[in-house]
Amino acid sequence: MTKIRINRAIVAALILLLIQTAVVPWLIPSAWSGRLLIHFSFIMTVFVALLGGRHRAFLFGLGFGLLEDMLFYGHMIGPYAFGMALIGYLIGLAFDRRLNTLAFVLLLTGVGSGLLDMLVYFIYKLFSLTHLGASFVFYWQVLPTLLLHMLVALALYLPSRRFLVRHIASRSEEAEGV
Amino acid sequence: MIGLILFIAVMGFTLRRTGLTWPERFVNDAFGTAQGALYRPVGAVAGFFRDLGRLSDVYKENEELRRTVARYTQDQVRYNWIESENERYKQELGFKLRQEQLFKYKYVTSQVIASGSNPYDKTIKIDLGAHDGVKPNMAVVTVDGLVGLVSKVSEFTSTVMPITELDPTAPDTIQISATVSGKEQQVFGIVDFDKEDGVMRMSKIDENANVAEGDTVVTSGKGGVLPKGLIIGKVLSNQVGDFGLTHTATIQPAAKFDHLYEVFVVMTPDPDKP
Repeated sequence: MTKIRINRAIVAALILLLIQTAVVPWLIPSAWSGRLLIHFSFIMTVFVALLGGRHRAFLFGLGFGLLEDMLFYGHMIGPYAFGMALIGYLIGLAFDRRLNTLAFVLLLTGVGSGLLDMLVYFIYKLFSLTHLGASFVFYWQVLPTLLLHMLVALALYLPSRRFLVRHIASRSEEAEGV
Repeated sequence: MIGLILFIAVMGFTLRRTGLTWPERFVNDAFGTAQGALYRPVGAVAGFFRDLGRLSDVYKENEELRRTVARYTQDQVRYNWIESENERYKQELGFKLRQEQLFKYKYVTSQVIASGSNPYDKTIKIDLGAHDGVKPNMAVVTVDGLVGLVSKVSEFTSTVMPITELDPTAPDTIQISATVSGKEQQVFGIVDFDKEDGVMRMSKIDENANVAEGDTVVTSGKGGVLPKGLIIGKVLSNQVGDFGLTHTATIQPAAKFDHLYEVFVVMTPDPDKP
C-alpha cells in the first residue's frame, strides 16, 4: 500500500515553478526560446495523477495552472488552469495506481503534454488571440516541448517517487514485524 | 460541463481587463520577490559565461566604441545647440503644455525577474510596480530598442507584454504608430508582429513615401500611447501591400526578447496632473 505525500508534492511544484520561470529561460538558447516552453508543474500533475488519484490531480492541476496563468497574465487567465486540471483528471481517471513503469509514465507525459499544448492553442484560437496554423504550432512548439517534457519526466520520476510516496505497512506486515 | 462553462466565462471575463484585484497583486508580488532572488544571479552567471566566449571580440569592439564616443561628443555639442534652438522656436510658436511634456520622459532602470512559458502569451516580469510609478501602457525598452508595453501592474512588480504579442486582429490589441528616423514628415505606418516569420511588419505606408532598406524605424508618438522616438528596428524590405494602395515594410526588431536582464521603463509625465 502506498500513499502520496501531497504537501511535499506542492512544495516541490512551487520550487520547480520558481526554477521554471527564473532559471530555465537562461538555459534555453535564443533560437529555441519560443519553441521549448517547459511546464514543470504539468509534469508534477502527471505524477500526482499516477500516484495520488484523479481528484488530487484535478485540484493540483487547477491550482498550479491558475498560479501560472496569474503570474504571467498577458491576455487572459484560465487556459493552463483548465488544461492542466482536465488532463490531470483524465490521466488519474484512466490510469490511477496501475502499471506505473517508467516507460509508461514517459508515454503519458508525452501524450498529455501534446494534448495540453494543443488544447491551450485551441483556446487561444477560439478567442482569436492567435492566428498561427495548427500544423505550424504542432511542429514549431508542441513537438519539441513534448520531447523536452518527456526528458524532464525521465530525470524527475524516480527521485520524485522516492520523495513523494510513503509506504504504509499493511496489517499483515505489521503483525509479522511485531 | 459546468466546469467548462465556468472556465470559458473566466477566460472571457479576463480578456480585456487591465486592472488587477488584490489576490492577483498579492500572488504576483509574493512570487516576484522569490523569482527576482533567483533570476538575477542566474542571469549574472549566464552572462559571465557568454562574456567569456566573446572575449576575443572585446578588443575590436573597444576600438569601435572609442571611435563612436569621439563622434558622439561632437554630435553632443551640435545636439545641445540644436536643442536650445528648438526650445526657443517652440516657445515662439506657442506649443501647448501637453505637447511639450510628451517629450520630457525619463528612463527608469528595472530588473527583469522572470519570464513566462506560455507560447501565445509571452510575458516578462519586472521589479517595478505601482509603488514606483509604473502605469499600464508605459513603454519598456532596452539599450537596443523597444521591447514591449507594461500590461498589468501590481504593487511591486509588473507584467510586460513584448511587442511580439501585438496581433493586429486580437480583440485587445494596441497599435504602434511608427515612422522612419530622419523622414518623420513623410513616412507613417502601423507596426505589428508576424509570429511565423519572426519579423515585424509596418503597414499602411504611403506609396509615395521613400522607405529604403536599412532605415531605422522609430515610434512616432502620434498614437498617444508610446512616447516619440523609441527605436523599433531596421527595415529589411519594402513591398506593395495587400490592396496595392499602400506599402508594407518588413522590419527586423532591434531589441532581443529573450535573455533579458535589465530594461528601462519610459515614464512620461501625466499631462492631466499638475
